[in-house]
Amino acid sequence: MIGYVVRRLLQFIPILIGLVTVLFALLNILPGDPARMMAGPFANPDVVETIRQEMGFDRPLLVQYLDNLWNLARGEFGRSYQSRRPILKDMLEVFPKTFQLALAAEITSAFIGIWLGVIAATRRNGWADRLIMAVAALNLSFPLFWLALMLQIVFAVFLRMLPPSGYGAGFDRFIILPAFTLALPSLGLLARITRAALLEVMGEDYIRTARAKGLKATLITRRHILPNALIPIVTTIGTDFVRLLGGIPIIEVIFSWPGIGKYAYDALVFRDLPALQASVIILAVSVSLVNLVVDLLYAFINPRIRYV
Amino acid sequence: MRLSIRAFATFDWRRFGQAHLPMVGVGVILFLMLLAALAPFIVSDPTQIEMRREVNGETVMPPYPPSQHNLFGTDQLGRDIFARVVYGLRTSLIVGILVRGLSMVAGTLLGLISGFFPRIVDDIIMRLTDIMLAFPVILLAMTVTAVLGPGLVTVCLALALVAWPDVARLVRGQVLAIKDQTYVEAARSVGAGNWRLLLRHVLPNCMGPIIVAFSMGIPGAIMYEAGLSFFGFGIQPPTPSLGSIISDGRGYITVAPWYPGFPGLVLTLLVLCVNLVGDGLIDVTSPRAARGERNRRSAD
Repeated sequence: MIGYVVRRLLQFIPILIGLVTVLFALLNILPGDPARMMAGPFANPDVVETIRQEMGFDRPLLVQYLDNLWNLARGEFGRSYQSRRPILKDMLEVFPKTFQLALAAEITSAFIGIWLGVIAATRRNGWADRLIMAVAALNLSFPLFWLALMLQIVFAVFLRMLPPSGYGAGFDRFIILPAFTLALPSLGLLARITRAALLEVMGEDYIRTARAKGLKATLITRRHILPNALIPIVTTIGTDFVRLLGGIPIIEVIFSWPGIGKYAYDALVFRDLPALQASVIILAVSVSLVNLVVDLLYAFINPRIRYV
Repeated sequence: MRLSIRAFATFDWRRFGQAHLPMVGVGVILFLMLLAALAPFIVSDPTQIEMRREVNGETVMPPYPPSQHNLFGTDQLGRDIFARVVYGLRTSLIVGILVRGLSMVAGTLLGLISGFFPRIVDDIIMRLTDIMLAFPVILLAMTVTAVLGPGLVTVCLALALVAWPDVARLVRGQVLAIKDQTYVEAARSVGAGNWRLLLRHVLPNCMGPIIVAFSMGIPGAIMYEAGLSFFGFGIQPPTPSLGSIISDGRGYITVAPWYPGFPGLVLTLLVLCVNLVGDGLIDVTSPRAARGERNRRSAD
């Protein structure tokens, strides 16, 4: 088991190197001179030249690339071109905020999604089932950025119930709109998967037995159906968390949430290679860690699965 | 054994036609396609500016609210939003099909090679998909369009680039399941070459999941294009795009909620219908779903 975890973590090193290589190549084809951007639009050419030498932009690309890799290998993210602050410090500041947002969204969608899925499955083909499935299909079809905009209009502009954007103290009024927007599509997906998983288990013989010996319907659902339907549900929560992290940049930019997604977006706009690179690495590592945790959870839920 | 593989590969089109929701989806998509194709004959010129208008003897300034004249209202220059949306729909449909087509072709080809050829080739392609899948999709697509310069072609390339790894993995999985079947061995023993085996024997038998993946991937392509255009990394004016119309309307949400509202609704409708068709396809291809169907009946 520990061997398995170590192996999975080691597998990630070549992926990270590939990631850095692709990003480095892309950003060096990108038009725009980082030294000029750092110096500002009205800078003296001498100043630009000084910055270029200071930052090492005048070195051959291969040297810059290897230097970059070596720095990363030592855990050195470098300084942001834009703010000149150490990126590690920025990351420690922005990542927890993204984590808060993603966690709030996933918990919301897990609770509501599973609950709706259970209702739909137990009232199969009734009006509640049809309504829930229709809402789920609709939620999966909203473009995220548009949904964010519409919820802003309704809840912040017209109803004035919630702040339209910004960051407060973490889990407060400011998190409700962005977290809810992120949760809506996931919620639809989870409701669907839960319903399908439940229906599959409900056809098994042991459920008929439980029903035949006169157990109450709620007890059957809670004790016999849900635990056995848990594997696809947990998998979906895991893959969905990954999907949710993909939507994070869009949501953070629209809601001015100072997390890693907005940080990466700003870095991209400013052609800030070290900052963008660090955000992509952190996001990619979080995604693969989530995947690893999900795989381990399988074994926990279903003892028949074993990793060696 | 051969029969069960066949069941994977072939569609029960009759059952697909009997399901209501997928057929509604097909109908609406056809309608939207027709609207987009015949746009110049149906809607007014989307670039026509109208800066003042007389209403009940009073002069009003744009944006005008929805009326029978302007179904979806107008923007800040008095341009008809319905006309802009119909032209934007063209872009969305083109991007959706083109991107998914490109990524399917690339992904299927690499998946076939990866599943069929020696271990080393497989390893290289799979590590490549690992790298691509580790990227945050929207950030990678934004970076690529920033490098290539925004525009219709570059958006399609960028989105195809981020979408192929999923397809490659799916197809590889199918190939691994099929390549040891007796009929593949039989074809090999009568002297069929690798490529003939792949294209004539393996590929046709994994068409089911490929068709489903094709349809399930279109909504993502359409939404990512709109998202990229929304953030200014995608399609640039004068080419109309639903994403950039919504982006333009963002500044007018308090005075003209219809401006960003209607384009998004149309986008949602399109994506919803493609999803409905995809769900219908899954229902008729997946044996797992069919088993669930039987179970459901036995539970009653």
